[in-house]
Amino acid sequence: MAEEEKTIPKVPKGQPSIKVDVIDPMHLLQYDACTRCGECENWCPALDAMDKDLAISPKDKISRWRDFMGKSYGLRAKLFGAKAIPEEDIQKFNDNLFYCTTCGVCGSVCEGGLNTIEMWEATRQQLVMRGNGPYGKQSLFPKLIGEMHNPYMKEQKDRLLWVPDDVEIADDSEVAYFAGCTAGFNQQVLGVSTARVLNHLGVPFSMLGEDEWCCGSALIRTGQPHIGDTPREAAIHNVEALEARGVKKVLFACAGCFRAASLDWPRLMGREPNFEVVHIADFLAELIDQGKIKWEKSLDNKTVTYHDPCHLGRHVGVFEGPRKVLSNMPGVNFVEMERNRDLQRCCGAGGGVKAGIPDLAMGISTARIKDAMDVKADILSSACPFCRRNLGDGRDSVYGVEGTNFDLRDNEENDMQVEDLIVLTAELMGLSTKIKSQEE
Amino acid sequence: MSEAFSYYSGIPTFTVMIGIAMVAVLIFMVGIILDMKKWGGGSVSAFLSAFVKSATKKGHPSIIKTIVLDILIQRRILRRSPFRWVMHMLIFIGWGGMLLLSLVFAAFEMLHELGIGEFDLVSVRDSFDTPNEILGYLLLVGLVIAIVRRLAISDVSKGTEMFDWVLVLGILFITVTGFVAEGYRPDTVSAWSFMGADAALAEAMALFHVLISLLFCIAYIPFSKYIHMIAAPLVILANGGGE
Repeated sequence: MAEEEKTIPKVPKGQPSIKVDVIDPMHLLQYDACTRCGECENWCPALDAMDKDLAISPKDKISRWRDFMGKSYGLRAKLFGAKAIPEEDIQKFNDNLFYCTTCGVCGSVCEGGLNTIEMWEATRQQLVMRGNGPYGKQSLFPKLIGEMHNPYMKEQKDRLLWVPDDVEIADDSEVAYFAGCTAGFNQQVLGVSTARVLNHLGVPFSMLGEDEWCCGSALIRTGQPHIGDTPREAAIHNVEALEARGVKKVLFACAGCFRAASLDWPRLMGREPNFEVVHIADFLAELIDQGKIKWEKSLDNKTVTYHDPCHLGRHVGVFEGPRKVLSNMPGVNFVEMERNRDLQRCCGAGGGVKAGIPDLAMGISTARIKDAMDVKADILSSACPFCRRNLGDGRDSVYGVEGTNFDLRDNEENDMQVEDLIVLTAELMGLSTKIKSQEE
Repeated sequence: MSEAFSYYSGIPTFTVMIGIAMVAVLIFMVGIILDMKKWGGGSVSAFLSAFVKSATKKGHPSIIKTIVLDILIQRRILRRSPFRWVMHMLIFIGWGGMLLLSLVFAAFEMLHELGIGEFDLVSVRDSFDTPNEILGYLLLVGLVIAIVRRLAISDVSKGTEMFDWVLVLGILFITVTGFVAEGYRPDTVSAWSFMGADAALAEAMALFHVLISLLFCIAYIPFSKYIHMIAAPLVILANGGGE
């Protein structure tokens, strides 16, 4: 758009052209620390999926936000007042900022060691508060999660509807399983698998049931934590509910919930919870070390590769536990994809992209499926329901399979199975992964 | 050595140099305060307290380790691209080394002007000639690599803006003026002696070199891409450096 056609608002005297009040000083500092080496552009999965459209490159976004800040807070602004920024430029920046899964690989490879994840999230929040963000269906999250305590428009009382009669959930125990909304309402096979594995291993566990609220991750990742203060309220509610039950260890099979409980809840509450937060993969890996895992079945020499969920790996640092579990399974030929651990390629679902920009989510996931095809994987495993869902969609797209039931679609038409680590664990322990309604 | 070649020592040249240096440092300080206010959301103290809180967070490696491995050796660059690491280290060592030598020599000059200590200023300066020459070449090679990289590598070229060129070409210009000033010195040991001895030009070029160095490499830092030299180490310290 030509400069003269742009909407250039008047900036009141003494006011900045753009506010930065919710962005932490260390994140504002980071905008000036970028050396513009361009390494992030070699790794950004969204950039790859968008044919290297440089408008969404991390480096370019940093440049543009730094320019906005300069116009508001630079020497010229101090002397003559802030320079107006055309609304179109801010809106375009906002849209480009949401074309990002907040996977954080840009930060992992950054020469300047920028913590980009929280920088992007805080900047998103600033733009949401300004009225520019979020993007697409992401705007539904605050109402759904704020009112229903889950993003799937389900009743809280139905959180444990999937639990089969044979599964034992303790009233009081030192271990709790925080299922999360996706395992509770949407991919219940994950909840059933986790519960049956814990029962099988003789680990008594309790669940919050209808007392469990959405972890708030979707709101934080999309820059909407301030709306209704929902994530903070959810953090306080969940932590206090777990603490009230005297829980010492809380298990998570959802990487998104695990990330929220590990990093977001303590930050939002201003204190650490009085219990340990553990991902199920690390929990199982520890039991393998203790010789407590006995497998009943074999995968019969299948090639298995592991996709590190961003929220589990790069964000929190859990890399080896899932590998230990998969490698320990009988009949597994474990191989690594070229991009793994902290340099892994995102599945494409995070940062609100699956809900807000499905085409981008699909573009990234098909690239990840091709990474797995390159190593001739029979099974692409992960440890996150969102990765499972989006990689499954990508797999179906690559293999041309359409319209299959998500939880039942690993059929003969697909050459590659996409499955969560906990489901594979349950199957190889000889356990049923059917939810209650499938058994009836 | 004639008095004319003791450039940037002796009145009035030394006074002029100190004057320019003070102006450069003043502009730098104003710029840094503005930057810290910007980072602190309008408050320098908010920035400083947030920085101290982040840098001393529990679980971070020792600050000394971070300074050595991440700020001086720059292992994050080395891990990603040995080629870019060589380029950056050449510029970093060349630029930083000459800045350090300049500061040390300025201290000698200050002592000389104040009549403190007994030393021959010209001998001190001459002892800096070879290290300065070597550091100058390191910087020059690093800059040439940076320019060729930005021109020759398609992806890098596409992402290069005026913001990047101003920095790299600006330092290149200053580096060349430094060699030219050296080359005109009648007593030079520089390979640039082919330019021919000219005491008056040597002094004029030296003054010009000092002037633009101070303005571009000190005063301009807070207002340019140069700010990464301050902001990036601060970020690394705040984030605990590391892998």
